[in-house]
Amino acid sequence: MSLEIKVPAVGESITEVTIGQWFKNSGDYVEMDEVICELESDKATFELTAEAAGVLTTKAEAGDTLEIGAVICEIDTNASEGDAAPAEEKKEESKPAEKTSNGGGKTGEVKDMVVPTVGESITEVTLATWLKEDGDFVELDEIIAEVDSDKATFELPAEAQGILRHVAAEGDTLEIGGMICKIEVVEGDAPSESAGESTAETTPSSNGDSYAAGHASPAAAKILAEKGIDAKSVKGTGKDGRITKEDAEKAQKPAPKPAAPQASKAPAKEAAPEAPKVAGERNTKREKMTSLRKTISKRLVAAKNETAMLTTFNEVNMKPIMDLRKQYKEMFKEKHNVNLGFMSFFTKAVCVALQEWPAVNAQIDGNELVYHDFCDVSIAVSAPKGLVVPVIRNAEALSFDQIEKEVVRLATKARDGKLTIEEMTGGTFTITNGGIFGSMMSTPIINQPQSAILGMHNIVERPMAVNGEVKILPMMYVALSYDHRIIDGRESVSFLVRVKQLLEDPARLLLGV
Amino acid sequence: MKYDLIVIGSGPGGYVAAIRGAQLGMKTAIVEKYPTLGGTCLNVGCIPSKALLDSTEHYHNAAHTFKTHGIDLKDLKVNLKQMIARKDDVVKQNVDGIQYLMKKNKIDVHQGLGSFVDKNTIKVTKDDGKSEEITGKNIIIATGSKPSSLPFIEIDKKRIITSTEALKMNEVPKHMIVIGGGVIGMELGSVYARMGAKVSVVEFMDSLIPSMDKTMGKELQKSLKKLGFEFYLKHKVTAVKNRGKEVTVTAENSKGEAVEVKGDYVLVSIGRRPYTEGLNAEAAGVKINDRGQVEVDEHLKTSVDNIYAIGDVVKGAMLAHKAEEEGVLVVEQLAGQKPHINYNLIPGVVYTWPEVAAVGLTEEQLKEKGIKYKTGKFPFMASGRARASMDTDGLVKVLADASTDEILGVHMIGPRTADMIAEAVVAMEYRASAEDIARMSHAHPTYTEAFKEACLAATENRALHI
Repeated sequence: MSLEIKVPAVGESITEVTIGQWFKNSGDYVEMDEVICELESDKATFELTAEAAGVLTTKAEAGDTLEIGAVICEIDTNASEGDAAPAEEKKEESKPAEKTSNGGGKTGEVKDMVVPTVGESITEVTLATWLKEDGDFVELDEIIAEVDSDKATFELPAEAQGILRHVAAEGDTLEIGGMICKIEVVEGDAPSESAGESTAETTPSSNGDSYAAGHASPAAAKILAEKGIDAKSVKGTGKDGRITKEDAEKAQKPAPKPAAPQASKAPAKEAAPEAPKVAGERNTKREKMTSLRKTISKRLVAAKNETAMLTTFNEVNMKPIMDLRKQYKEMFKEKHNVNLGFMSFFTKAVCVALQEWPAVNAQIDGNELVYHDFCDVSIAVSAPKGLVVPVIRNAEALSFDQIEKEVVRLATKARDGKLTIEEMTGGTFTITNGGIFGSMMSTPIINQPQSAILGMHNIVERPMAVNGEVKILPMMYVALSYDHRIIDGRESVSFLVRVKQLLEDPARLLLGV
Repeated sequence: MKYDLIVIGSGPGGYVAAIRGAQLGMKTAIVEKYPTLGGTCLNVGCIPSKALLDSTEHYHNAAHTFKTHGIDLKDLKVNLKQMIARKDDVVKQNVDGIQYLMKKNKIDVHQGLGSFVDKNTIKVTKDDGKSEEITGKNIIIATGSKPSSLPFIEIDKKRIITSTEALKMNEVPKHMIVIGGGVIGMELGSVYARMGAKVSVVEFMDSLIPSMDKTMGKELQKSLKKLGFEFYLKHKVTAVKNRGKEVTVTAENSKGEAVEVKGDYVLVSIGRRPYTEGLNAEAAGVKINDRGQVEVDEHLKTSVDNIYAIGDVVKGAMLAHKAEEEGVLVVEQLAGQKPHINYNLIPGVVYTWPEVAAVGLTEEQLKEKGIKYKTGKFPFMASGRARASMDTDGLVKVLADASTDEILGVHMIGPRTADMIAEAVVAMEYRASAEDIARMSHAHPTYTEAFKEACLAATENRALHI
């Protein structure tokens, strides 16, 4: 028999609760008093326990808001522990499309693939691209999808060999542990094409998996396009599952299922914009923020709010470095097979200065200050999906050519979206070069939890007073934004002056003076 | 004047776009170079040719089949002057109809040559040389096409003519030589063949109406032969000479030998070319490709953001109904809607007798794409309705996917197939299978039964009446 579990009265003024998360899934076997889900009221979070042992059938989803007394789930008390798995399997097989694809080598086992843990701070990812179609045969470890996190793009390998069944769609944001797809495990080789055909032929044409199922009529297709709904997510009621105009009119965007109730508000807003009657120069375009963009925005605001940030400026005569480059460019390239750029000079100069002014290379961690005796220099790179900051490790110990090579390697990977989290984590100080876009002067924002960032700018010829004479020199403004909580004015200004000295007389880099 | 939408050209693409724009609340203007609206289709294309085709079909029947029907006629003769006058009247009714539709939808009609000043400004130059400038937020180029020719042919519009002149002849030619075996040549050739002219067709390709399914070309050739057509297929025209009352066409056959055909008129119908003369598209930055077409993306947008182009002036089949769909598509897009055109399902029709009509893929295309298909054919000879009307030429051919039975192409040649093809379009838009059609009741006795029977044949080769 089936026992209904209702939302209990949890407090006097509380009339409704939101399901925070399910600890047990529909079809799971639960023990009596086992915690099955978390409920959130406006006052507190509490746990819901099973009132009996049996197989659970959920009636509401995480994020749903329920009134006190509403049915939240059912427990089939007749079912024994062993029944749990078959119950789930039955559910799988109730979809005819999946049934028909059962080929010779099928084991009946279904492998659920969830979003793997990809890095400490990453809580959600976006499914960027399916590389394998729904229903494709995939090999074990074959790459089936690309997943974007706020830091990097990952390739997702198949965890089993078999028939792929998509669960998430491209563009979906998934939490770590969220279901991405299922693989119907198949043993042995890929089913041959002829085998596929023969199963198709034996399928009676009336069972709803007609080639025309899900085909939208012309009017229905237009309505769906305007609503931004994929025909795949609409159940067609027409002949052989065709989508009729009525189906399209009734269709709603599949509700996103984030666990946090606040998150569900944002997508709702997205669905709202309606195109103006007469389009023209007042058109706007809305697109979902990528995870990367969301993280960038969160972190930039945090840096502004949580630090006592201010910026000090100076200017650098670039002529000595430019002369040096001119003189040794060819030789350097020949010997090291990499161009001698400005980055190596700046990185070296910064490393020397950081070691002299350790506060600039330090971080606040709670009530403690963490000093580093190494310089992991983050470099800001503008990548197609947004700004990324890969790290040059132990830059203080690297030679000029090693730095240049590392810059090229990291920048290339950034542009291709191939940087790993590892390569972007850590960093004790950041250099950003707005000069490549023509910036004359700017105040960079600290890359938290670091305490300071150096901004490079464009090189412009300016008239300078040198020993009482006006000289035209190639000048660059440099800016150091720093966290005043940890770095004093004396330190920050001295640091920047030191960088200036080292750049204006590169021989000092060599001698360490 | 300032408009939300300016449409240049009032053919079926242009005027439909203007009406749809007005329906969606846009302040709309249409610019037309000629004194009458309707473009090629209404003035010198579909409508007048259909009018003459109908008149001559009546004449042909009176001359050849009435006797069998039991109707005796004496002194039957063609009154070409009256025939042309009736055609002109039909055209006038139609173009007046468009004028009325413009007024009803409060669309401003600017008569004169429209040319771009910049991307929002159109200068309209009237025949008397006076001009005005109007501006529009969005502009649709719908300037259509003109008959094209070969570089060595001088069209004198007297003996060497295009479709335009063929619609207003003063006499029935004795021997009309048609260059080009396409739709226009076959239709206008039919008009004069029915009135007794000898018609010779010189075509470079190996079949008539070469863009359609091969079976259609072959069947049409059979029927037209009965009408007195002569065919010079795989012949490449090398010279056309007007010698006063006689015209000579010299062609090279497949063996490389020179062949000379003499007649009194030559109809040059080798196709049409996009027409953008005087448009001054460069002023707006609109790109025109080397084939003379206005370049557009999948939204029919030109290289300039607020300028669109539709119909014969862009890529794709030169068909009035294609232009209409495109006109609606562009305007609805401007209003923020998301319409779609399935170009594969735009039907093609030829108003010869028997009529030819088709939609979807041809057998040749299916082979090329490597799609496995089944064929179902049904000849009109086996149709009771066709026999009752003595219209037994032709057949219906249905091509369906070998495994799913989905209809992939329908090709018809026979009586009233131009109207019948609509059923195939509906079926294919809904991705019907051949058996779906076979299981729908078709009224008896009608020509449409032939489609049902062909679908039965395609399903499991189980046509009932053959």
